Amino acid sequence: MDLIAKGLTYKPEDEFHLNDVSFGMQKGELYTILGRTLSGKTTLLKTIAGLITPEGGRMLFNDQDLGQVPVWERNIAMVYQQFINYPHLTVFDNIAFPLRQRKLDDGIIRGRVMDSLESVGLTGFEGRKIQALSGGQQQRVALARSLAKQAGILLLDEPLVNLDYKLREQLREEFRNIFSDKVSSNSILIYSSTDPLEAMQLGGDIIILDEGRVLQQGPAHEIFENPANTRVAEISNDPAMNLLSGAIDGSKIVIGDDIKLAVPAHFKSLTPSAYTFGIRASDVSLHQKGLPFKVELAEISGSETFLHVQSGRHTIVGLLDMVQNFDAGDVVNLKLDATRLYAFGQDGALVSSPFAGDF
Amino acid sequence: MLNLYTFLKYGFICIWSMFVVAPFLWALSTSFKDFQSVTSGATYIPWLQFEPTLEGWRVLWKTPASGGVDIVEPYFNSIIVTCSASLISILLGTLAAYALSRFTFKAGFIKNNDITFFFISQRIMPPVVLSIPFFIMLGYLGLLDSLVGLIMVYIVLLMPIAVWIMVDFFNKVPREIDETALIDGCNPYQAFFKVVLPNSIPGMIVAGMFCLIFGWTDFFFAFILTFTEVQLLPVRIVALNSSITPWWSLSASALISVAPLIVVAFIVERFLSKGNLSGALK
Amino acid sequence: MNFRHKHIFLLPGLLVLIGILIFPILFTIRLSLSSWDSFYPGLDFIGLENYVRLFTEDQRFWESFFRLSFLSLTTVFLQYVLGFSLALMVWRDLAFKRFFRVLFLIPMMTTPVIMTVIWKTVFHESLGPVNDFLSLFEITPLWLSDDTLAKVTVIIVETWQWTPFMFLLLLAGLLSLPEEAFLAASIDGAGPVRKFIYVTFPLMAPISIGAIIIRLIEASKIMDTIYVLTSGGPGTATETSSFYIFIKGLREFQMGYSAALSFTYLVIMIVSLTIIAKVLVRVMIKQD
Repeated sequence: MDLIAKGLTYKPEDEFHLNDVSFGMQKGELYTILGRTLSGKTTLLKTIAGLITPEGGRMLFNDQDLGQVPVWERNIAMVYQQFINYPHLTVFDNIAFPLRQRKLDDGIIRGRVMDSLESVGLTGFEGRKIQALSGGQQQRVALARSLAKQAGILLLDEPLVNLDYKLREQLREEFRNIFSDKVSSNSILIYSSTDPLEAMQLGGDIIILDEGRVLQQGPAHEIFENPANTRVAEISNDPAMNLLSGAIDGSKIVIGDDIKLAVPAHFKSLTPSAYTFGIRASDVSLHQKGLPFKVELAEISGSETFLHVQSGRHTIVGLLDMVQNFDAGDVVNLKLDATRLYAFGQDGALVSSPFAGDF
Repeated sequence: MLNLYTFLKYGFICIWSMFVVAPFLWALSTSFKDFQSVTSGATYIPWLQFEPTLEGWRVLWKTPASGGVDIVEPYFNSIIVTCSASLISILLGTLAAYALSRFTFKAGFIKNNDITFFFISQRIMPPVVLSIPFFIMLGYLGLLDSLVGLIMVYIVLLMPIAVWIMVDFFNKVPREIDETALIDGCNPYQAFFKVVLPNSIPGMIVAGMFCLIFGWTDFFFAFILTFTEVQLLPVRIVALNSSITPWWSLSASALISVAPLIVVAFIVERFLSKGNLSGALK
Repeated sequence: MNFRHKHIFLLPGLLVLIGILIFPILFTIRLSLSSWDSFYPGLDFIGLENYVRLFTEDQRFWESFFRLSFLSLTTVFLQYVLGFSLALMVWRDLAFKRFFRVLFLIPMMTTPVIMTVIWKTVFHESLGPVNDFLSLFEITPLWLSDDTLAKVTVIIVETWQWTPFMFLLLLAGLLSLPEEAFLAASIDGAGPVRKFIYVTFPLMAPISIGAIIIRLIEASKIMDTIYVLTSGGPGTATETSSFYIFIKGLREFQMGYSAALSFTYLVIMIVSLTIIAKVLVRVMIKQD
């Protein structure tokens, strides 16, 4: 492990921003910190950068204790969610700024600036003023500056969140290519996001952060297949995984008064008891023989429909493939795919997953 | 359509404009009068109502020995004191404001806000309260009736303004810009001088304008703390008032003293209309 | 953010200010406990005698303080109303609005004491233009030698001088208001009056409070105008606290006593300005 954090704690007032955060990261890899707003993502990135001094814990980078290294001596680059550049400098001077700070040769600076401008698709913009650029272009300049630096750790704090939807999709694709082409095997890339889809698309490892705690760290597919607990299941899915409290009673799964499902194969070894069952919205589908639910709301997003339905005291969100119109109060028949069910114990920990059987 | 609202609006603007301009026009007219025309009652239009003369203006450049007023030397004194005190206040005020906006200070129960309040609260002190101890202090230091002494006192007057405007300005500059400079390899001093300062020029100009206004227009300290060696412009002009009151030279010197800051009005308006002032004032 | 040398930014300014002020402040407090006057200059110690005299005998100080309160509250209120009206008028659509903005700013750029000298000639009872104009109606008020009119004259001059400052602060505030609030009001079909009452005024409340407090602080120091225009007269009709302290300290050279006046005055000012700020916040920002 090249970057090791042990027990990072930061509690400026009454609330923890970081609560005993530990992880290990390796060069050449991409790590996505996934968490809701105010979960401590920005605090964690700023702590790695050295902008925040944690009250407890330590960090090692290349076996060197970072505790004594001030920000400006750490070999780090960072892109913020706001479009942060130096307003008084041109695009070229913005990107050259960290390189000049290191007193590199003018020729080398020029080469690296042009190279990183090309990789973010802004060749020819080097003489422009920052204010003359659009939001997306400003964020490209910020990325170019962090790339040109060839830093040991590259931090990206929700870099796309302030862009409009279309541009976000486009830049995410570009960023992924840039990361795989331009970021050398000598760098650790840390990307923070609130969007599970984004985290899954970027690949690499995911660290789930919630209320300043690390809930789970692992490869993207591992998080997807085996979320460690109910909270991870909520955070790592969009829409959040449906969580239904119920019980296994003989050969039936009983949820509330109305929902009864056959126990699927991967639940066979679970003892009959109360559980929280989880099912992804995408595993809910319309089916004539399905259970009846009352529609609360149907949201149409692109070519998909989010269907919020209700049965007893449970609310379930289903993700339907095409655009379908429903009115509130309609009754629909939905099938919950029992073979895709997760089971969580009373403490919230995962006990059985459709991908790996029981735990 | 000219409705009632528009009518009232333009009416009010016209009346107020006349109110603003009236004393200047009166002073302009008076500055071309002589003893005869002043004492024969209020008159306004030269040639028609009185015979204009340039005596009021000419006397300003003559030495007191030859019966003149000599406002040239006080003029330069005023410029030196106002500009030096403004420069020092802006310089020190900007540094302090940056620290108060970006770093956390804590000494017992005193926090950033209390320090900011301490700076700004100096404006509450009426000059008369400070003038007696200043008189004694400057006398002790041998700085009574000197430019250096006045500059010291004017710093107390102006630094609160600089700190007030600059703290507000820095609070609106995203701190991520400073952080990016640190991450890009600047130590805090380099970050301040290479990145923060070049981007603070609008705020510093606004603060500078206010320092110039309040420095240039101050009277009381200069009145108490100087005698004959170093006279500032307002003191010299008001002194005319207490003698036999030559309205003509009084008016001429008033107009001349007021003239340079009219430029400041234009600069302030430019910042106002470009929207840069709203960030710097609140 | 925090770093070890943060004090290097703060201290130069702070120390210079404290360095210049520490002696005057401590000296004033010490002086107020002495009987220093023109006959016996020196820092003897007479305890709280000056303060006892101030609180039990000195009617004139308290009168001057109430006069100051009246004058500054009246002028600041007038300046607020006029400054806000003017700011609203040159805020949006108006022909030559930038010209008027500059014009309306000009009085605050001028030296109060010098303009007051000019105003004194304007209000001159026999040679000034005001009475020249009023003589058409066969009245010639004694602007500077009548108790009430002297106050009115001071208020007129102060309003001319400082309405621009209020105007500037409020216009800067108006220009920083978000456009969206007004769009929403327009869509709801609100007329100009309703827009002002329900949108502009509430949005401007914090800025208004700031501007009023700043002006009250500056207005309470009123000195130059009165010194030139009336010298506190006729009698004591326009004598404010500052002017009274000035007379005691620098005319009658009762240094010890005037220091006690100064210190008492400062304490009252700080307390009353804090109260006024709290009340204004309560009144102008409605909690709903």
